[in-house]
Amino acid sequence: MTFRERLQAWRYNYIPDHVIGEILSKRWADNAIPFLALVAVIAVFGTAIPGFFKPFSLLESTRQLGEFAIVVMGLTVVMLAGGIDLSVGSMFALSAFSAVAAFFIFHQPVAIAFLAALATGGLFGAVNGYLIGYMRLRAFLTTLVTLVIGRAIYDILVVDYGSVIQTSTASSDIWDFIGDGDLHGVSAPVAAAAILAIVFHIALTRSRPGWHILAVGGSRRSAHNSGIRVRQTVFMSYVVSGLCCGLAGFLIACRLSGAGPGTGLNQEILAITAAVVGGNSLGGGRGSIAKALMGAIIVLVMNNGLIRLGYGTGTNQMVLGIMLAAAVILDIRWLKNRHKVLNEVYVAPVYHRMGETQSAEPGSGSPYALNNRIATTEYIGLGELEGPEDVVLDRDDNLYCGTRHGEIVRFFAPDYRRSEVFAHTGGFPLGLAIDRDGNIISCIGAMGLYSISPKGEVKQLSAETNRSYTSIVDDARLRDPNDLDIAPDGKIYFTDSTTRYDAHDWVLDSIESRATGRLLVYDPNTGATKTLLDNYRYTNGVCMAHDGKSLFFAESWACRVHRYWLEGPKAGTAECVIRDMPGYPDNINRASDGTYWMAWLGMRTPSFDLALRSPGFRKRMTRRLPQDEWLFPNINTGGVVKFNETGEIIETLGDMTGQSHPMVTSMREHKGSLYVGGILNNRIGRLKLDKADPNWTGPTSYWGARP
Amino acid sequence: MSFLDPILDLFRGKAVTIPPMDGALRPNTALDDGEVVTAALAPDNLAMLNGAPIYSSHREIRRIGHDHAVLESCPADVSAIAVGEDGTLAIGLDDGTLKLGGRLIGGFNCITAAAFHGGKLYVANGSDHVRPSQWVSDLMHRNSSGSLWEVDVKSGQRRKLAGGLAFAYGVAVDAANQRLIVSESWRHRLSSVPLSGGGATEVLSRLPAYPARIAPHAGGYVLALFAPLNRLVEFVLQEPSYRADMMREIDSRYWIAPTLSPPDSFLEPLQNGGVRSMGVHKPWSPTRSYGLVATLDARLQPVSSYHSRANGRFHGVTSAIAIDGVILAASKGGNHIIRVQAGGGVS
Repeated sequence: MTFRERLQAWRYNYIPDHVIGEILSKRWADNAIPFLALVAVIAVFGTAIPGFFKPFSLLESTRQLGEFAIVVMGLTVVMLAGGIDLSVGSMFALSAFSAVAAFFIFHQPVAIAFLAALATGGLFGAVNGYLIGYMRLRAFLTTLVTLVIGRAIYDILVVDYGSVIQTSTASSDIWDFIGDGDLHGVSAPVAAAAILAIVFHIALTRSRPGWHILAVGGSRRSAHNSGIRVRQTVFMSYVVSGLCCGLAGFLIACRLSGAGPGTGLNQEILAITAAVVGGNSLGGGRGSIAKALMGAIIVLVMNNGLIRLGYGTGTNQMVLGIMLAAAVILDIRWLKNRHKVLNEVYVAPVYHRMGETQSAEPGSGSPYALNNRIATTEYIGLGELEGPEDVVLDRDDNLYCGTRHGEIVRFFAPDYRRSEVFAHTGGFPLGLAIDRDGNIISCIGAMGLYSISPKGEVKQLSAETNRSYTSIVDDARLRDPNDLDIAPDGKIYFTDSTTRYDAHDWVLDSIESRATGRLLVYDPNTGATKTLLDNYRYTNGVCMAHDGKSLFFAESWACRVHRYWLEGPKAGTAECVIRDMPGYPDNINRASDGTYWMAWLGMRTPSFDLALRSPGFRKRMTRRLPQDEWLFPNINTGGVVKFNETGEIIETLGDMTGQSHPMVTSMREHKGSLYVGGILNNRIGRLKLDKADPNWTGPTSYWGARP
Repeated sequence: MSFLDPILDLFRGKAVTIPPMDGALRPNTALDDGEVVTAALAPDNLAMLNGAPIYSSHREIRRIGHDHAVLESCPADVSAIAVGEDGTLAIGLDDGTLKLGGRLIGGFNCITAAAFHGGKLYVANGSDHVRPSQWVSDLMHRNSSGSLWEVDVKSGQRRKLAGGLAFAYGVAVDAANQRLIVSESWRHRLSSVPLSGGGATEVLSRLPAYPARIAPHAGGYVLALFAPLNRLVEFVLQEPSYRADMMREIDSRYWIAPTLSPPDSFLEPLQNGGVRSMGVHKPWSPTRSYGLVATLDARLQPVSSYHSRANGRFHGVTSAIAIDGVILAASKGGNHIIRVQAGGGVS
């Protein structure tokens, strides 16, 4: 190995590039940019302003933050429902005035003042909501009008009653505590904001009204079509925003013990900036409370920080405007291009040196030498079938196979000219097996392990396994369940080929060549699924040994076959029995003479083997070329290989013309014939075998003679 | 935001692009639908001798006709032939020998094409590094050591007209403009060189395939293009270490490189789009071999074209000539000579 190769191996196998793609594919990845902005803003102003982190300073600034965050959360709810609320500043100011008036002018208790503030906010919100939700006016103009009118009312009231409030003698300990006190450093506004944040978060992510809000914001028409009361949902979102302003207004009234002309002025600009900078989409449907909180902190720290550093109002507004513009552009660009970025960075190849192999070329004299034995098969279902990954035959000689349309098709014995859709699964049926009771058990791509009864009823057996601690993608989900076999005790052993790619993108896994394939077992008695083995390069075919004490499974991208022991001294361990084949193995099945058939889905090529040793080359390839141009393993030529219990190769069948069976993913022996399937083929091939037992069938081999 | 692309390219990688087959070069199946003149083993250079078409095939030069008579048998593979107005035959061999009349002229390395004009023979020398049969290695080494020569038919004196060509693979005389038209395969273009010698000037660029021999046709030209540009190959050409490893460790038949013939071994590289699905090999899929003949007008602009697409048979056309409104194309990779009607509405 050259130094360069060694360096590449180290670089690509120990630095986990794949994490970037996995994080980007998560919904919470949207929070990354606002979070970085948050950290940066706090770091910059924390160092620039002396005493920023002092407890007293923090207490005072978080008091204001609590009030502001409550307003932003209310606004976020409106934005999530697809609207906008410009009137938050006026509602905030009027609510504050209501609280102050109730307390200082009418000498009412604090609770009444609180309710007055809430009622004011709620009333204004209801007006907005009625006009926008039920009267279907434009949100922007409507709330602009309420902003102006609300502000005008407030200005009149403040001028008329300002002196009355200032000279009032009313006082209350509760009022002072809310405005000035703290409990272990936590002030009332912070506590209120925190509680509200938790409530809103749970409501939005886990409750019906919350989902309705997101659905309406995401697509009004779809929400309406799926039976959501759109108008009511929109109405409620404005009421929530109004109530939030009411609460915040009450808190500021307590803090300032009065109402001045500056209260709530320009609050709407700050709040909208905060919501958008946090990453909530202006278009609705995308966003979260966490984003709202981050945005609130960023904007407030920035705003107050600039004031404390001595910058004027103009500079302050300018900075806010620039931030808002940047956030809006980023939001739109990101939304549009996110999937492209994900496509470009998702494939993260690793270094993998394949072992030297024997030649499979015809006439090479190696046991793997391909020929044209399956070039001339008798076709079944030509032109009707698309994508029979696996084939299986029952006791009555009927033939079953999956199709890429999600069906399991049954061809009737004896001539297999007649067929019917036996069951519709909805996924892509891959591996098939028949259990003791005649049910067809299938690994269904992107769905899980399913059972289909002899009447054609589809039942899910398993769709998840235990989750590993370090995974970012949800590896509890069965992403690419591929093949299975059933042990004498009824346990179903199956493979989940990769946690990185969906079933239809299975070949992309070969370009990455990362070992994420697993062997799993489903126990029908407990209904539980357990991971037995992990970290194989695309686990594929599974076949129970003839004695039922061990099983064989294929590791496709490493061109190996392993044996996993169920009983005996090596129980629970796997050993490699065939290594460094010239082809990529797929399904494995029993042969009538006590040996095994294995399908080759494709052949190794020198150029691809070399590319596996050059992860940087593959990575650049996936970024610089469209997917259609990527270098693939040669999956236009496959074959069928027969091997015995010790892993010795007995014979190899091929189709060098590529006309009948370019890629072989499965084969099944039944009464002296071999049935050949391929996931990218449009037919099943039937080949008469010369030396096979003409009475041997799979169900008899597994479950004995007919009961 | 296109103005950001140069910056973003640093992170995501600059897209590798190739010119599209469009306009006069829009794909069709004219070559595959054409009339088979004859099957032949790797037919290479076509020419007209005494009114009858001849072609080179490995070491032989044969006449197309009832008998397929062998006119000449050489000690090495024939890499170029040309016929003068008086019937003089010039033969370039793979070992670099030029046979002109009865005389052997040495000093060439890679004779790929020749053309007579006014008592001179103009010879395209593909490369100073490789023989004609090793052309793929010349491309993968990114050489540009081709040259254009003038040989005096009487004296055998030779004179270099231009150098630094990226595989000169075809030459035609444009007498009206006192210049030579030369195909530069690795730059996917045609260039012109004054008959008196001097630098090469680009006259037709951004071809979607590697140009080979060029012959006169109806006031313009007929151009054979022997392999398509392929984005994966272009990418490999920009990956020096992979390319070096590939050339060192892998048999050249299995390189990621252009080729003359459709795939016939499972050891050859395969691209995603070339995967056979539901029994179909898509004709528009990325491919390393292709059949393409184009006719050009007097200003060297493409007028019409004849294709054998990714799923076709007649790939690797290295030579095409025009006779009386008919175009003969030698598909070296498809082992056939094809006849198509010139200007038969294929554009």
